[in-house]
Amino acid sequence: MTTSAILQAINGTSLAALLFLVASGFTVTFGLMRVVNMAYGAYYLLGGYVGLSLAEATGSFALGVLGGGLAIVVLGYLVDRFLIRYTGENHLAQVLLTVGLAFVIGDVALKIWGGDSLKVPLPPALRGAMELPGGLVYPTFRFALIVFGLVVAGLLWLLYTRTPIGAVVRAGVDDREQVAATGIDVDRLFVMVSALASFLAGTAGVVGGAFLTLYPGAEWEILVVALVVVIVGGLGSLGGAMIGALVVGLLDAYGRWLLPEFSYFVLFGPMAVLLLLRPRGIAGREA
Amino acid sequence: MTPARLAVAVALVAAAVALPHVAGPFWMGLVTQMIVFGLLALSVDLLLGHAGLFSVCHGSFFAVAAYTTAILQVRYGVPTALAAPAGLVAGTLLGLVFGLAVRTRGVYFILITIAFGYVVWGVAHRWSSFTGGDNGVTNVPFPAVGSWRVESHVEYYYLALAAAALLALGYRVLVRSPFGLALRGIKGSESRMRTLGYDSNRHLYAAFVLSAVLASMAGVLYVYYNRFVNPVAASFPVSVEAALMAIVGGTGTIAGPFIGSAIILGLRNWVSSFFELYAAVMGLVFIVAVLWVPEGLVGLALRLSGRTARG
Repeated sequence: MTTSAILQAINGTSLAALLFLVASGFTVTFGLMRVVNMAYGAYYLLGGYVGLSLAEATGSFALGVLGGGLAIVVLGYLVDRFLIRYTGENHLAQVLLTVGLAFVIGDVALKIWGGDSLKVPLPPALRGAMELPGGLVYPTFRFALIVFGLVVAGLLWLLYTRTPIGAVVRAGVDDREQVAATGIDVDRLFVMVSALASFLAGTAGVVGGAFLTLYPGAEWEILVVALVVVIVGGLGSLGGAMIGALVVGLLDAYGRWLLPEFSYFVLFGPMAVLLLLRPRGIAGREA
Repeated sequence: MTPARLAVAVALVAAAVALPHVAGPFWMGLVTQMIVFGLLALSVDLLLGHAGLFSVCHGSFFAVAAYTTAILQVRYGVPTALAAPAGLVAGTLLGLVFGLAVRTRGVYFILITIAFGYVVWGVAHRWSSFTGGDNGVTNVPFPAVGSWRVESHVEYYYLALAAAALLALGYRVLVRSPFGLALRGIKGSESRMRTLGYDSNRHLYAAFVLSAVLASMAGVLYVYYNRFVNPVAASFPVSVEAALMAIVGGTGTIAGPFIGSAIILGLRNWVSSFFELYAAVMGLVFIVAVLWVPEGLVGLALRLSGRTARG
């Protein structure tokens, strides 16, 4: 019982690391650009598939991760530039447009990669299991994922709070007209932040594909859980996304373990309660 | 009603009544489906077109009503006279709970309704001992009340048509009532309506519950037409497609959602008959609708006719 509880805690934490990769992009692009992009789930899936093909072709997991991320950077740029730009600040239009886009991506991916669950091949160093103090055995890759998530979160946090670019982004989240008025090229800033967010979603697909596998429909499952992360954490807040990812990852792991038939309820029930108390999430600000 | 509109209405009713005499069973099934999903789109549009709230969980009310009716009817042999109202009540009760979402606005409302919708889908999908899992509930009979019973798809078509006509009339009365006008006011400017003393949260909550009732009615009509229900009915694409139907047809109108439903379902049937990637085509329809026809076909027609009248 205790062993399982500990294993579930690690499961939840490694899921949290993955969720953070997807949710951080979603939340920061929303905070800065006021864009709701429902295609992030499809970015995740497509990045995963591209990374899978690359990793299989080259035999290098690292190249797969990098390539999956870069492919989505290109796609994300085109989508921003030629589609989302025309929706202005109309969230309804953005949601419908990006949902439609996700349908297109999902269907084309189904045609190319088929309907079976595919697993991104891992390098030998990350395969297998490792033994923890106390005799617990746990897959090595899940630990690597937690470390990876922590490193990315740390780097993002430094970028966000300690660099001039981060300062401009934070200022842009607060009041982007004012930032534009001080002579900063806001459009270029948007492109950079959006590229980073796309890159994170694409790489998340590759690393996620190595343990959750990739299959048609995975794009919506990951998106919805990432949305809960964002809702719980508060839209537009990077710190909120970190807390939210951890809360949601642990709730999901324990929910699946203790109440498998109602695991969605375990995930969304607390969200509904939180919403009643704090409609804008833990770290969200009143608008 | 002007004589021209009256003539159009009479012609439409005559065509709808005469349809089974010219169309085969496949077309009757498709048209019945268009009516049912038109009602679902209409329920979404009560919030979208009249109150300015974009809900993405209406598949939930639709599915919960359908499941309740199907489970009672199939597993417990409950007659239609009780099973159908029970489905309606179940969907409405869920609406009373999910209505809490109106505490939020804008993006938060959208995201929260998506999440709510997934709870229902997740329960339908995972709680297989009760809902039948992915297989769902099958062998739902045609409705029968006392000695009166529906015996064919054509008869069911007439039933659905009559129900839709009655509901559309009721909807018309609702949106033209002081309550409906207050909703429009909230959509236009919530702060102004608050200043005027309207409790906007209470109005939006009532609108949310009413639209859940309508979605539940569509769900009950759906399950007797479809003869089975599975988690797909509660899935995200159903909810978001209902909104798309309202938008393609024209939001804030009564004909719009039905026209949109006919276009979307007709298009999907047509494209899927010869093109494998029809889901991608539907996705493109979303994109095109948003970028080029945001006011919908009814809106487009009104704008074009207005232009020609002026020009």
